[in-house]
Amino acid sequence: MRQEVVLAMLAKEPSYGYELRARLREALGPLGEAMNPGQVYVTLTRLEKAGLVTSRRAEGLADRPDRTVYGLTPAGQERVAEWLAEVSWPKPDLAEFHLKLVAAATAGLADPISIVDAQRRELLRRLRDAQRAALAEPDGSDAGLLLEGVVLRLQADLRWLETCERSWIDRRSRS
Amino acid sequence: MSDTGDTADTAVLRARGLRKHYGQGEGLVRAVDGVDLDVARGETVAVMGPSGCGKSTLLQLLGGLDRPTDGEVSLDGRRIDQMGEKALARMRRTAVGFVFQAFHLMEELSAVENVELPALLDGRPPRAARRRSLKLLEGVGLADRAGFLPSALSGGQRQRVAIARALSSEPLVVFADEPTGNLDSAATVDVLRLFETLHRGGQTLVVVTHDERIAATADRLISMRDGSFVDETRLSGGTGGDLGALVGLEG
Amino acid sequence: MGRVLLVFRLAARNLRRRPAEAGLLLLAITAATTTLTLGLVLRGVTDDPYQTTREATAGPDVVASAAADPYVGKPVDRAGLESLAGAPGVIDHSGPYPVIGAELEMDGATGSRRTPRGEVIGGEAGVWAVGRDSAAASVDQPELTAGSWVRDGGVVVEAGFADALDVHEGDRVTLAARACTFQTPTTPRECEVASRRSFRVVGVAVTAAARPYPDVCFAPSCPWAAEAVEDALAGGPPPGEPDQPVDDDAVAAEPPLEPGLVWLTEADARGLAPGGQPQSYVVNLKLADPTDAPAFVDAHFSPLMGAQILESWEDIRGAHEEVVRDQERVLQIGSRLVALLAVASIAVLVGGRMADQTRRVGLLKAVGGTPRLVAVVLLAEYTVVALVGSAAGLAAGRLAAPLLTDPGAALVGSAGAPSLTMSTVGVVTALALGVAAAATFVPAVRAARISTVHALDDAARPPRRTPWLIALSARLPVPLLLGLRVAARRPRRVVLNTASIFVTVTGIVAVLAARAQINQDAELVGGTDPTAVKANQVFLVITVTLVALAAVNAIFVTWATALDAKHSSALARTLGASPQQVSTGLSAAQVLPAFVGAVLGIAGGLALFAAVGGGGDGVTGPPPWQLLAVAPVTVLVMAALTTIPARVGARRPVAGTLRAEHA
Repeated sequence: MRQEVVLAMLAKEPSYGYELRARLREALGPLGEAMNPGQVYVTLTRLEKAGLVTSRRAEGLADRPDRTVYGLTPAGQERVAEWLAEVSWPKPDLAEFHLKLVAAATAGLADPISIVDAQRRELLRRLRDAQRAALAEPDGSDAGLLLEGVVLRLQADLRWLETCERSWIDRRSRS
Repeated sequence: MSDTGDTADTAVLRARGLRKHYGQGEGLVRAVDGVDLDVARGETVAVMGPSGCGKSTLLQLLGGLDRPTDGEVSLDGRRIDQMGEKALARMRRTAVGFVFQAFHLMEELSAVENVELPALLDGRPPRAARRRSLKLLEGVGLADRAGFLPSALSGGQRQRVAIARALSSEPLVVFADEPTGNLDSAATVDVLRLFETLHRGGQTLVVVTHDERIAATADRLISMRDGSFVDETRLSGGTGGDLGALVGLEG
Repeated sequence: MGRVLLVFRLAARNLRRRPAEAGLLLLAITAATTTLTLGLVLRGVTDDPYQTTREATAGPDVVASAAADPYVGKPVDRAGLESLAGAPGVIDHSGPYPVIGAELEMDGATGSRRTPRGEVIGGEAGVWAVGRDSAAASVDQPELTAGSWVRDGGVVVEAGFADALDVHEGDRVTLAARACTFQTPTTPRECEVASRRSFRVVGVAVTAAARPYPDVCFAPSCPWAAEAVEDALAGGPPPGEPDQPVDDDAVAAEPPLEPGLVWLTEADARGLAPGGQPQSYVVNLKLADPTDAPAFVDAHFSPLMGAQILESWEDIRGAHEEVVRDQERVLQIGSRLVALLAVASIAVLVGGRMADQTRRVGLLKAVGGTPRLVAVVLLAEYTVVALVGSAAGLAAGRLAAPLLTDPGAALVGSAGAPSLTMSTVGVVTALALGVAAAATFVPAVRAARISTVHALDDAARPPRRTPWLIALSARLPVPLLLGLRVAARRPRRVVLNTASIFVTVTGIVAVLAARAQINQDAELVGGTDPTAVKANQVFLVITVTLVALAAVNAIFVTWATALDAKHSSALARTLGASPQQVSTGLSAAQVLPAFVGAVLGIAGGLALFAAVGGGGDGVTGPPPWQLLAVAPVTVLVMAALTTIPARVGARRPVAGTLRAEHA
């Protein structure tokens, strides 16, 4: 998870560490359960080091990160504003798989088509899981929305794999 | 591959050596070329493949809508590939249900009138048929649209009516031919939900599709190419990975 | 020029693509034009053939005959007839000619003849033989249609009589005269053949001086004159004539039954007469003013036995016309019914193509055709079919007309074939073109208005929904459920179907009623009425045409319905209807409206019969068994006709149809 996410969670008002975690969990629904609790605090520390976040210990309590109040610095605010305006998108990482097929074919190590089939099987299983989870969610839930996104991207990847299969079959039949 | 061993006894649908050829000589088309299949009771089987691979033809052969050139098909132990027309008709209204890509609803009948049609064709009393149809429509979430004509329903709603119709006779097997082919993604999800519900209720489903989402609901996924099966995947038993990882919450 | 070629190429291609439909349309137009032609031609021909005969034979204005009364010893009053010839107003005469009553036997293998109902009966026909000069007379010189005039040993037969007996020039016949004794309460009448001679038929001729066979009448046996006598005697015996003594042993020739007319030489006639005495004499009179004839007849009328019997030419003409009139009426009604039915068929055919037209319109527009081009192409198609149909109909009508318009062969008008006048050709062609224009008009208007997208969309004519019918059909057995719903999808077609059966059955019932009446009349007369023969022929032709057209209609409508219901039939079979149930349903969709149409048609036929003046002699309709049989027979015939198209429609492979159709 990118650190900007944590920054943005602080944009409204300074909060305790535990409040931050709670807010994130709420936004992610059941998916948030799986989140590593320590993750947030590590990120907060890094952000503080980068000067985007300030921390202040609450009085009278032991030195515990969840009792610390975190807030944004002006630099932090600026960074949040920039991030909100960004339109970057996680890039599809297909080159690795493609090269895997090429290597297997060139070196005669394995049949590219069976590699594709194996990958398809795996993705289908993931699709099934994600779809099941998505359908189990109530309408309009955040988790459901996220899972739908997963399903659709898996579907797109599967389509590409189908195309790969066709293409490699053609190559084989031509050679 | 398929465990013909232990599914043999519980196989509700079985095909051996199915072939369907059109034309002859130079123009011979092998739509289905030697297919063996066992479908166990309560199983959902999906057949995937590119256009023209013969999957729709296969479905029509399995469902008794067409006769094979060679091979045999058995439903609940009875051969259907050689049944007379009258017996086939009886089978269609008591033992199987069909869902089509184009819905194939009667345009001039309302939703409930469409759903009750198989029961009426089987000679059931009209009131009982009507009651059951309303119940089925309720089951697909369209109880409030029972009186609507197909032209007043969206694509997804029409397909759900078609599914209710297919369930009318409490069929042994429901055959679906590209059920989401004409639907948008929202409607696809509705149909998906229904299929999952049916599956959980123990309904045997044979689906032909090129939609991966539909295929993912299946227990078994069979890939078809050029008229014969080329691959089979058992989908039950998932990755076991955590969902958070799926959405990229790690790292 | 290129445009014109394009239009014809498109039109030709459209016609070629649907040959069956084009053929049926052609058939319907041909049937309509044929009957229209028949109707028009017939009206032309029966334009007073009696007048033509009268002019050709110098027909008389008054025919007077007088008979002997052998029972009181009174000879024929020849002088009286001759004095009539000199009466004021008479400018010319022929005769008096001797008239002998006899029996005619045909020599040769059968010696038999056919009655109007087509039964073959044996033996002799009654005949009045008139002795004539071989020289031509100035009044009433019969016109030969075959052979030559009288000579010794030869007999000339009247044309209608010859037609009924199937006698031809060159045949040999035997004439025999009987003499009978007087019949009293104690002595039975005895008749013996007094003389018999064989003759050769040397000619066949027509005349305007005698009523048509079998109503030829001379004194003493003239039923029409007898009526006047009865009326006159009703007031008591005539004054002046004292009772005369009766001669029991007197021998008199017997007046022939249902006589025809033949001519002999005077010498042969006298030779044939029993005792050399002819029964009566006849004289033909020509008046200065033909319109005075009825007055002349009244003036010289006397109710006394043995007095002269006079007939005016108008009476004779009336007798001839009656024969023709009934046929003509029947034919005209029949032809109107057939034309109606043909129009209904055309409407069905054209209406059935309407949906197809709309789609084609869309296609033409989509590839850049203007609405005007589209209309022109459609017009060209229909015009071609209409012109071919009208030409075929005119030809068929022209060929068929002589078979029906033959007014008993007794008048000159039948000698030549009826000809097609320019006006007939014009009317018929105009009708056919009118149909073509009408058929084009609606799709063309639609083409101009409809958007291309809508025209291409196959759901251009969505089926109709009738909720109460759907609910009702759910309670019925499966074939009826399917059939009722198929019919309910296209109510206009059901109405057209019912209408066409209604028209057909109306026609058939009216024809049956008319037939019952005419045959009853014929029975009253004695069973040899040639009117009945001709009338029955006409009835047959009309019935056959009506039935043929209705059958073509039925087959086509079933086929069109099966096509239209292709998708829902396949769907019904997918949902579990057997092919038999589907085909029975498709049949039922036609048979049920047919039954309704038949029942309504029975009422319609009876009403039509009454409206055209039928219903004399207590005949208000066909015999009850025929009436009761109409509806069941119609249903059975419809079921039989629709079976094949229905079965073909029901047995189409399900998979193919579902694959091809989209929602």
